[in-house]
Amino acid sequence: MPAQRPEIWVFGDYRNYFQNRVTLQLLSRATDLAEKRGALVCATVFGWDTGEWVGEYIAHGARKVYLVEDRRLGRYSCDLYVGLMERLARRYRPEIILVGATSFGREFAPRVAKRLKTGLTADCVGLDIDENGLLVQTAPAFGGNLLTRIVTPQKRPQMATVRPGVFREIPHDHGATGEIVRIDFPEDMPPDRVRLVSSERTLPVPRHLGNAEIVVCGGRGMGSKGRFRNLYELARLLGGEVGATRPAVYARWADEDALVGQADKHIRPKVLFSFGISGAIQHTAGIVDAGFIIAVNKNPKAAMMKMADVAIVADAHQVCLALIKEFKKRLRA
Amino acid sequence: MKFVVCMKQVPMASELPWDPKTRTLRRDLAEGMMNPACKQALELALGLGQKEGAQVTAITMGPPMAEEILREAIAMGAHRGLLITDPALAGSDTYATSFTLARAIEIFCPDFDLILTGCHTTDSETAQVGPQLAEELGIASAAYVDEVTVEGGTARLRRVSDGFLETLEIDLPCLVTVNTTNRSPRYVPLSGLEDAFGEVNILSVGVADLGIDPALVGADGSPTRIVDVTAPRSGKENVVLTGAPKKIVEELLERFESRISGLIRQDIRKSDAR
Amino acid sequence: MRLDPCMKHKLVRKAVREFAEAELGPIAHDIDRDARFPWEVVEKMRPLNFFGLQVSRDFGGAGLDSISYAIAVEEISRISGAMGLCVTVHNSVGAYPIERFGTEDQKRRFLPRLASGESIGAFCLTEANAGSDASGVETIAVDAGECFVLNGTKIFVTNGGVCSLPLVFAVSDPSDPTGSSCVFVVEKTMPGFSVGEMEDLCGMRANPVSSIFLEDVRVPRENLIGGIGDGTKIALATLDTGRIGIAAQAVGIAQAAFEAAVKYSKERQQFKRPISSFQSIQNMIADMAVSIDAARLLVYRVCAVRDAGGRFGKEAAMAKLYASTICSEVASKAVQIHGGYGYSKEYDVERYFRDAKVTEIYEGTSEIQRMVISRWVLSESM
Repeated sequence: MPAQRPEIWVFGDYRNYFQNRVTLQLLSRATDLAEKRGALVCATVFGWDTGEWVGEYIAHGARKVYLVEDRRLGRYSCDLYVGLMERLARRYRPEIILVGATSFGREFAPRVAKRLKTGLTADCVGLDIDENGLLVQTAPAFGGNLLTRIVTPQKRPQMATVRPGVFREIPHDHGATGEIVRIDFPEDMPPDRVRLVSSERTLPVPRHLGNAEIVVCGGRGMGSKGRFRNLYELARLLGGEVGATRPAVYARWADEDALVGQADKHIRPKVLFSFGISGAIQHTAGIVDAGFIIAVNKNPKAAMMKMADVAIVADAHQVCLALIKEFKKRLRA
Repeated sequence: MKFVVCMKQVPMASELPWDPKTRTLRRDLAEGMMNPACKQALELALGLGQKEGAQVTAITMGPPMAEEILREAIAMGAHRGLLITDPALAGSDTYATSFTLARAIEIFCPDFDLILTGCHTTDSETAQVGPQLAEELGIASAAYVDEVTVEGGTARLRRVSDGFLETLEIDLPCLVTVNTTNRSPRYVPLSGLEDAFGEVNILSVGVADLGIDPALVGADGSPTRIVDVTAPRSGKENVVLTGAPKKIVEELLERFESRISGLIRQDIRKSDAR
Repeated sequence: MRLDPCMKHKLVRKAVREFAEAELGPIAHDIDRDARFPWEVVEKMRPLNFFGLQVSRDFGGAGLDSISYAIAVEEISRISGAMGLCVTVHNSVGAYPIERFGTEDQKRRFLPRLASGESIGAFCLTEANAGSDASGVETIAVDAGECFVLNGTKIFVTNGGVCSLPLVFAVSDPSDPTGSSCVFVVEKTMPGFSVGEMEDLCGMRANPVSSIFLEDVRVPRENLIGGIGDGTKIALATLDTGRIGIAAQAVGIAQAAFEAAVKYSKERQQFKRPISSFQSIQNMIADMAVSIDAARLLVYRVCAVRDAGGRFGKEAAMAKLYASTICSEVASKAVQIHGGYGYSKEYDVERYFRDAKVTEIYEGTSEIQRMVISRWVLSESM
């Protein structure tokens, strides 16, 4: 019994709820897409004792929730979840299924797509609807050096896994309402072929400057040790590390370990924030492999500003404070 | 025991030529290498294979020059190689690729115990072929695995998945996709390289040898279609922002949303944000 | 005639490059500064057959062809000239003469030790008054029946400080140096064998080049390679082979300097442009590229001739002369392109510059190579 209105489904990946907001981000993006497509935003929730998540998803944009609650779903199971999603999709024929690109999502979605004999695009950083109503999925390749736009012209549903953090979630709306469609756990479901022997939370991996994906670098332009200290706060919010130029290290604003430059340290962050750094060759040689560079300097002609993707002409300290404020605001949202 | 390692040759250079007419990557122009995660899978297979006395078969699908990674695999210790190469396979997405690999495995190593693949490739980065191959073969699988041991007819796996350290058990035959952490693949011994170019067992097969309808593979057999490929950083834009700090930050986050907003630390709890 | 490398040679390059970049790359600068021989890397090189590149499989080597050998030496030298030196000397003039001129018994006794890297080889020819002239050595080997008693002093022995199974050239009758020249496999553990202080050299500092002293060293007769009077012949044949290795090493060092110069020229801004946009820099880069390519082709050619079983003395001398000459030139240009930074120890080009010079000196100076080449040319044109 296909639904009358086309439906966009978002897989409810509720594990690590506070850290992993990708389901909420997808509900937000699905809401935009649904508007263009005249579709209904739905979430699927598989599990046991899931009332909390069902409410959260409705509050964040789901207008309908397909809910399968059963003791046998008390833990994440790829085999069972794939089987459920396959059956639900065959029955309700969604137009689009979006899955967060968590480790689980990236194992789960390919198998679902295969069962449904449809296409799947991995780790998307962009989703849109084109003039023909097709889902246009933008996926990175070659470490983000290329962006590929992909469609699934014939097969349905159109499926994508989506990188966490790309879209911004809709603020929690207590007044939102949604339909809940309860589905019984099918008794003929084959048993899980994967046995979970043990599962424990991992400790966070120690990060260091060399392997950090985000680096906040500061130079003489930060002005003082006290101001330089704010870079550590910014780095903490971003989950990044702090680097420093030679003058900043000589001034003892940062430890020797933080020095970034030719003979000392080469860094390869995906995003580099550069504050008050003029861009002497010793320093810039160490950052040539940085992905996206945002440089802040009062002098627009500084070498560092020339090699940046975004050059911000302003006082480094002021911009650092503004960024901290903004990121804190977003974390609270 | 029989292990199968599915591997892919990927371009060495990070900047690489693609054909704007066909909208495919011109793999013929780039120097290739064994995808790093596939090398990890091979290392795991070789290490485990030595313990279990297993025969290790390396399989790749790609252009004729992909034979190179099979030779490399044999130099490292694999016993035989299978190259699936056919112009009809060009443009295969993960759906068609996993279909083709499954048919080849059914014909050339039907009695496999364990299939290992890299968890993802450095070129298209989908991480989908492994799980889809398991689905094609109708076997259980686990992705992003760090360690594998085999006892009796069961594989015992360790992995870190979404912040959980998990120990799993799956009855053989099964498939695992191997993570890139915690393991240094062996270097290629030069004597092994010399052997790999002697009398070794490398078989090259095409679509006809697999008895596949060409309509089910390549671009025709792929549900997805590439609209276009662009290089977002072909020459830095060097956007200059000026004005009041607050305004600048707003503009920065608005215009470069996809680059930056994903950064906000995922594992910070709300309480930390104050 | 094919000039593009085959799949095997490509893989040899990739395999050695991967190893060298990962294991030697991080320490190349430090071992040069500290003049330290990196035993920890040698440990990792052993099972990969770096010490038996061309030793036959029967004796535990990799049995590689000459082009593969040259590629391996080039790739190690691209990261560390000093370790490239260690490998090429060990293989070409340490192990090769035993394989070529040794008896079955000698091969069985010595080659597995060398090929596995358990023992590091060296070539003790040069003395205070003798260089490439094997018959001019003053080390004397007195026939004492079961053994020879060796006395003399060797200088500038590459791998000197770390070798345990060197070849030593001597004469048994100083009145007939040519007729009595001879070569022995000497064990480091033999009484009377000792190693002098490490030389404080300009480049190749991670290689413990040293003097070796022989004081009444009793070497068993079974360790005599070939016969009495064969020393000169063995030395000359060995040096021909050794020159291929040094030529390959020079190409590797030049390649490293070239890559550094190209990278730097694109990064370094002057007058608001990368210096690579200036024609004077472009000219240097073009000249470097051509000369490295030409040198590499000369190296491949001598390897191909050697593998085909032909005489390759002239080709080896040509490759060695040209590769070492352009190595110095390229390294010098690379320093020039780096400007003041290139003269600083902070940048690797300074090391390449120091390492490059000696390729024009050892294994026969450029002057000796010209002599060899002209002799061949003049005799061929008769």
